[in-house]
Amino acid sequence: MAVREVLTYPHPLLKQLCAPAQPGDVDDVVKDLIDTMRSFEHCVGLAAPQIGYPLRVAVVDITGHPRAKEPHGLMVLVNPKVTARSEGSKVSREGCLSLPDLTANVRRPRRATVAFGGEEVELKGFEARCVLHEIDHLDGILFLDRVASITDDLFRRQEYR
Amino acid sequence: MNLAVTAIGRDRPGIVAAITGALLDFDGNVDDSQMSILHGQFAVMLIVSVPESADLGEISARLEEVGNEFDLGGITVSPVSDLDRGAGPTHVLTVYGADRPGMVHDVAALLAASDVNITDLRTRRTGDSTAPLYTMMMEVSVPSSATGLKEALAGLTGPGGIEAHLAELETEVI
Repeated sequence: MAVREVLTYPHPLLKQLCAPAQPGDVDDVVKDLIDTMRSFEHCVGLAAPQIGYPLRVAVVDITGHPRAKEPHGLMVLVNPKVTARSEGSKVSREGCLSLPDLTANVRRPRRATVAFGGEEVELKGFEARCVLHEIDHLDGILFLDRVASITDDLFRRQEYR
Repeated sequence: MNLAVTAIGRDRPGIVAAITGALLDFDGNVDDSQMSILHGQFAVMLIVSVPESADLGEISARLEEVGNEFDLGGITVSPVSDLDRGAGPTHVLTVYGADRPGMVHDVAALLAASDVNITDLRTRRTGDSTAPLYTMMMEVSVPSSATGLKEALAGLTGPGGIEAHLAELETEVI
């Protein structure tokens, strides 16, 4: 289909709860998401609201990324649902095409189980982080809503001891 | 017109509100800023844009009043013109070891010799006076021309040794 413009905050679509998608009716959205994601060199995921569709659809593909350990390849997430999250979590720095020039430390579970397209997939590490970041977009949540620390953990502990 | 405003003083509630309130009286808008506690002192750095018609002397006098009220040592305000952000950081560098005078300088001089630009630097001195530990964490912009940086960092010496770890900055654009 087409590479679409990526909306940036404060576009209202980015802070909106997205509507459930009709699984047979989102082929165009999925194609646009994949085309647009692939048009950015370091982009490993994109959610429908970022390109103007307020629907619960996202794509993730971390194949070839240095932090990809056992990637599932291209994942098309239609109406994805997180069914389990690990207790263990990790802080890592994230950026987002919808918030250009900003990065922040975000704490997320190390593992998550996500149901989509009639199957349940267990995700680990970086891939889990990416999928959770995209699902956040479907709920109108940006990584800035989840900032864990503004400085390094080491210094944070020192400051608040 | 852009102004750089700096201040430091014993930390207490209300400092930020007072400084920004004074700036707002002159229609000042805070652009980038960083404020943090250093050894119990609250250090403030702000870049503020104000209308061209603003009177620098008046702003300075108003901030001086805030400085007196909050006992801030040396509140300064000065115009800045060059707001080029330059190249962003490419690496994170951590250096730590038993404290000795000159650690920051040694590392900074080593980086400067390779045209490495420091874009963020924080240091902490921890531990007790008999065994002080010094930690430096920085973000740096390493030009492609810089080679042998890791080897040079490994050559840093101090009592009990100095550890240096240079890693590519991981930022995931998701």
